[in-house]
Amino acid sequence: MLFNSFEFLIFFPIVFILYWMLQNNFRLQNILLLLASYIFYAWWDYRFLSLIIISSCIDYIAGLQIFKASNQSRRKFWLYVSLIANLGFLGVFKYYNFFAESFSQLMNQAGWQPNDLTLNIILPVGISFYTFQTLSYTIDIYRKDFQPTTNILSFFTYIAFFPQLVAGPIERASNLLPQMERKRNLSKEWIKEGLVQIVIGLFRKIVIADTIAAYVDLIYADVGIYNSSSILLATFLYAFQIYFDFAGYSDIAIGSAKLLGFKFHQNFNLPYFSKSLTEFWRKWHMSLSFWLRDYLYISLGGNRKGIKITYRNLLLTMLLGGLWHGSSWNFIIWGGIHGFVLAIEKYIKSKSFSIKLKPINFLGYPITFAVVLLAWVFFRAQNLTIATIAIKKILLFEWTLPYMGDINALANSVLLLTLGIIFDYYLFKKKITLELLGNQFNIVKTSFICSFTILLIILFYSTSNNFIYFQF
Amino acid sequence: MNTNVRNYFIKIIALILVGSYLMDKIAFVLLNSISDEVYSGQSIGKLNQFLEIKDELDFIVVGSSRANHHVDVSKIHDNSFNIGLDGTKMAYASTLIKTLSNKEQVILMHISPETAFSESYNGDDVQSLKSKYNRNKAIKNEIDFLKKNNPLQNFYWSLGYTGSILGMIKNIYFPNYDYTKYKGYDPLVVNSNQKEILEKILKRNTTKPCKNKLTLNPIYAHYLTELEIFSKQNNKRIVLFTAPIYNDVCKSDNQKLQKFLQKSTFEYIDYTDFFKHNNTIDLWKDRTHLSDKGAQLLTFQLKKKINIKSN
Repeated sequence: MLFNSFEFLIFFPIVFILYWMLQNNFRLQNILLLLASYIFYAWWDYRFLSLIIISSCIDYIAGLQIFKASNQSRRKFWLYVSLIANLGFLGVFKYYNFFAESFSQLMNQAGWQPNDLTLNIILPVGISFYTFQTLSYTIDIYRKDFQPTTNILSFFTYIAFFPQLVAGPIERASNLLPQMERKRNLSKEWIKEGLVQIVIGLFRKIVIADTIAAYVDLIYADVGIYNSSSILLATFLYAFQIYFDFAGYSDIAIGSAKLLGFKFHQNFNLPYFSKSLTEFWRKWHMSLSFWLRDYLYISLGGNRKGIKITYRNLLLTMLLGGLWHGSSWNFIIWGGIHGFVLAIEKYIKSKSFSIKLKPINFLGYPITFAVVLLAWVFFRAQNLTIATIAIKKILLFEWTLPYMGDINALANSVLLLTLGIIFDYYLFKKKITLELLGNQFNIVKTSFICSFTILLIILFYSTSNNFIYFQF
Repeated sequence: MNTNVRNYFIKIIALILVGSYLMDKIAFVLLNSISDEVYSGQSIGKLNQFLEIKDELDFIVVGSSRANHHVDVSKIHDNSFNIGLDGTKMAYASTLIKTLSNKEQVILMHISPETAFSESYNGDDVQSLKSKYNRNKAIKNEIDFLKKNNPLQNFYWSLGYTGSILGMIKNIYFPNYDYTKYKGYDPLVVNSNQKEILEKILKRNTTKPCKNKLTLNPIYAHYLTELEIFSKQNNKRIVLFTAPIYNDVCKSDNQKLQKFLQKSTFEYIDYTDFFKHNNTIDLWKDRTHLSDKGAQLLTFQLKKKINIKSN
């Protein structure tokens, strides 16, 4: 089920009403949430529910066993059980075909012709998200940062909780599980914050991102035939399409959870207003970047083992972060670009350059955006060949007018994008997060903002596309 | 949630619903008044013009972009209009025909064998008429019949104007053309950039595999039947035609459609291979759309074939 579907518009109010009718018993509320979450997921494909259930079972048991284990080897054993099971699912469903194809290509180059090793596998929606979520649970217990729950219902509900099940935010057990195990309350402030965030999230997704998508899809469907300026314009628009798409999704998720009495962490904090890539990653898909930092970068040694190892760790973390997004060389290169530039920033920071560069600090904004833009080419292109063509075409510097396509659609895109950027700039200048925006206003103003945003959605929404991050 | 918070929630939801409902109605009234002034632009202006003059016309062209950009109606008949619209297909065209009175008229309708035998065609194109959903009963009935109405449109009426507002405002202040001289034909002028893109596409010489299983799409079949009855009851002569394609490899769909239409009372002209023997790139904008030069040649031939006497 999609947040931007008519089904969700019916589904959520029903769940909301039933949920708060059961407010005197949070266990019954959890049962309702679990059932609702499974229905939400099964709407896409009920067969893959079994994967979530198996994954939940394994991690529930592994968590308890790690905690109970009397010695280190036993603890390690159960951690490995969790890692192998979760990464095994991910490996089979997400990466098997990629590695099989890469292996075949390598063999072909060596003169061998192996049989077709690929399998006809469907990628289960949300597997990357809930796998990381369950992994954080067992790793935190192994690190003694968190105690496992003995309540299987709370744990299963935590894993399957529908607002964050298919595309995050990747909420860690330490934040969400304790909330599952106590009575929830809904305050007036949360009502305003949740409603404002949901409608603005919807606007970001179905108005801005989906309108922009038309031009981006047109150009990237055949980059070979368009000039440099068209590809550059499409990439520029894509940078905002993916931002408003994913940030919009996160907004709806965070807002919906808030209306059910749960507080999620912020997932996007105006990432394009960043003076460095390091800052960008503190603001972009924060639940993933902090996950990668805490469970990968730090596990690899972080910056504690000397500067060279730090660079290696950064690069490796970002390469794997890229691979997390999809089983393709494009994503690995995308991660590689980010890792490489992060390492350069680390180098500059470690030397005295950073003091000398202070007067021109403001250049950090356009430079960071340019790097992010270049990397988006690899992220958006369907494969490495297309990405290479796009980069080559951009570097031809054919600065004639870009291809306009449907001029009305392009004008709509520019107008709506401007609106989106102005709104973000307002938040940036006022130093407010969207999560708390609703609380700035009284009931009448909040209702007016929501009503007006709904009107804008009615007047400008575009045909619904799937959320980009569903494919990951 | 205590009683106080529950009441607060009900209050805020009620305020949002009432507020958005009222704003929607204000917007709807405003947009209607703007829309009624628009007589330029594809989605609203052209439709307005057509709905206003439709029952006075003698010759009408309906269909997709391959009707709109390919038939210069003024060269065929003085009292004519081309209501072809980009992206529309059978449902849109048939709905418009069904709004006509019983005045004697000749209708030239573009049909595509590819869509006729498509399994995925579901009549979505009728949504191009959604701006008239709450204002024209015949259009509302067709949209409802095809179940293409947005379920929320009964509450939020402005949904009919989704995506058209900027175009409408632009067309009020900066109309594309003088509608009093406009006959609905929009020639495709190909600039050097587009020509270069077309050359690159044609060089690739990629062809789609032909379909073996050809079953007439049920919506297509439904409308063909309806139009046949409608034309008999309302003094219409409906001529169906298929516009040229740069290099059409699959012939079985054309043949099957021809065979099917032979059983009906429709006249059918298949011009898919019209330029097969004298083809040049300057006749085309892309594989399925003719440049103005190509359209003029086709129009000349259509005029001879249809043979309507001008007043």
